[in-house]
Amino acid sequence: MKLTLPPRVSPQSFDAALKAFAGVVGAGWVMTSDSDRDAYADAYAPGPAEQWPASAAVAPSSVEEVRAIVRIANEYKVPLWPVARGKNLGYGTAAPRMAGSVVLDLGRMNRILELDPKLAYAVVEPGVGFFDLFDEVERQKAPLWLSVPGNGWGSVIGNALEHGIGYTPYGLHARNLCGIEAVLPDGDLLRTGMGAMKDNPAWHLFPMNYGPTWDLAFSQSNLGVVTKAGIWMQPAPETSLELTWDIPNEEDIGWVIDTVTPLKIAGLIEQNVFIPSWLGKIVVLGNRKDFWDKPSAMPEWRVKELLKQYDLGYWRVSIRLYGDENVNKAKAEVIKSAFKRHLSAPPMEVWWRQGDPRPPLDLTLGTPSAVPLQMSDWVGGRGAHLGFSPVVPATSEHVMGQLKRSRKIIADHDVDFYASFTIGGRFANNVNMLMYDRDNDAQVDNMKKLFNALISETAKAGYGEYRTHLGWMDRVMETFDFNDHALRRFDEKIKDALDPNGIIAPGKQGVWPAAYRALQKEGAQ
Amino acid sequence: MSRFLLALAALAPATAMAAPGGVPELPPYQVRAAQPAGDRLQPGRDGKAVFEHSCGYCHFPGGMGSNLLTKQMMMMKRPPSDGILSNRRDLTADYVKAVVRGGKGAMPAQTRVDLTDAELNAVAAYLARNAPKGGKK
Repeated sequence: MKLTLPPRVSPQSFDAALKAFAGVVGAGWVMTSDSDRDAYADAYAPGPAEQWPASAAVAPSSVEEVRAIVRIANEYKVPLWPVARGKNLGYGTAAPRMAGSVVLDLGRMNRILELDPKLAYAVVEPGVGFFDLFDEVERQKAPLWLSVPGNGWGSVIGNALEHGIGYTPYGLHARNLCGIEAVLPDGDLLRTGMGAMKDNPAWHLFPMNYGPTWDLAFSQSNLGVVTKAGIWMQPAPETSLELTWDIPNEEDIGWVIDTVTPLKIAGLIEQNVFIPSWLGKIVVLGNRKDFWDKPSAMPEWRVKELLKQYDLGYWRVSIRLYGDENVNKAKAEVIKSAFKRHLSAPPMEVWWRQGDPRPPLDLTLGTPSAVPLQMSDWVGGRGAHLGFSPVVPATSEHVMGQLKRSRKIIADHDVDFYASFTIGGRFANNVNMLMYDRDNDAQVDNMKKLFNALISETAKAGYGEYRTHLGWMDRVMETFDFNDHALRRFDEKIKDALDPNGIIAPGKQGVWPAAYRALQKEGAQ
Repeated sequence: MSRFLLALAALAPATAMAAPGGVPELPPYQVRAAQPAGDRLQPGRDGKAVFEHSCGYCHFPGGMGSNLLTKQMMMMKRPPSDGILSNRRDLTADYVKAVVRGGKGAMPAQTRVDLTDAELNAVAAYLARNAPKGGKK
């Protein structure tokens, strides 16, 4: 990828900044070639990856090096785009929102600083991936489990900061963060919570500050660079029982939600319950052309044929219980009774007990995997996906409304429907997977139009997204419109106060510093 | 690997495709080698250990890359075991480097923080070690 300089930075000044970065990290860790820029591009970009070009990347190995880089960036007015491991696939990968930003790649900061089985937490640097932490737990035989997202390739901290979700009782990953260390936009260093006191042993145990609590102010944020964090982990349970039902019809999702949500809120079900639609099951059986060889969306009659042929329901619900065997048995009876009111078929029951191997691809048992990314292969070519991810209250009324709305918009754009609802408590994350071939211009163009329609129609109905791709960060921020966009105005005031040069991640989540606010239309879809 | 197992290996979360009556048989999770100590920028890295540490996420048996490659190999009437990169006898160092830096199919390009040039040279030599001289299989 050709070089795009940061706004208003001369070639000479840019070169001087890179040399200064190299003085901190060593020349080998400042990456400036066309090939390097390609590697930091959005791997799943809808359309050309050049829409969000990095100018270079720099990779520090310590918090002191991060501080030095941030100071240099201020001096030369070179904006930085921090990434933990840069694997935010489907949301922009490692690419920056603003063209010409230098990617601050924290992948070398990959130390696991603490692993405490007694109080069930770890302290890690941003470069620690889910596989790294899982392997260390295995090596130490620590009685701790992770909660992992669909792509275990990414960073534990990065995923939590991006509000990633998993499928265990610890599946709301941002809530597992406790005690953060962050380099501020002026190079100062902050520790939150009890860590604000030197050597306080409760830093990663008590989740609030004395005074305002800032931990999550660094999530989906451009207020600093998180350099370490405490992560709460699940104590390894004695047993686990999984109950699985195939749910026959589309409209059944209503009673499923109304059955699961109260049990989840009451704590009887602890995990995040993932409910995928039929395509989630079909994508694993082959490529799209094996089932439907036309470019148009798979019609309803064909879906019905396939569900019958493969003996699948429209939805599948798996509920996993964790803990003491007797408690799990008792909980299972309550859940089975609740389901029996709507569905006579009994669930499939699979027990796991301490000492049993954990199936390698089972995300609900906290085993990391990158295999879910295989779904990109469904469409053929250089497959990719975008996730449209609104949050709705976890009741049948809201879920059915969202389902019908997004289903119609997706059908109007002649695209296959693949949705899931993950019940995280009082809310459900509705993820609509939109899969496309990156090299098919017409398909990419249609996806962009579809994505815009989904955002605007969903916002009109009163719902917002929890996370989005670089190209839609501004459009989604625009939907949070209470009191003339008070949230964005507040974010911008804080941003400008803390980061007058706008050095850290300009445009992240639609929050632009004054220095670059005029550029927000560039790269927006 | 059967089509069914290949199929199983692609779901999020994977349990949703558990076979009736039990958990499907898939290769057990394999703990990766630790990243070899020493300066990652210097030549002479341990190619096998680097491969296991940095590529094992996807290229151990049961990983995303192994599953997709196995499918491709079977479609080409080649043995499923050729889906595991470390079994291959037809890889060249230059090809490995091109794929790692450029990406291929579902695999994104790898940065020089993911894999330094010194590490990539070592991995490429490791994966090309079985290739007969002269380019014949």
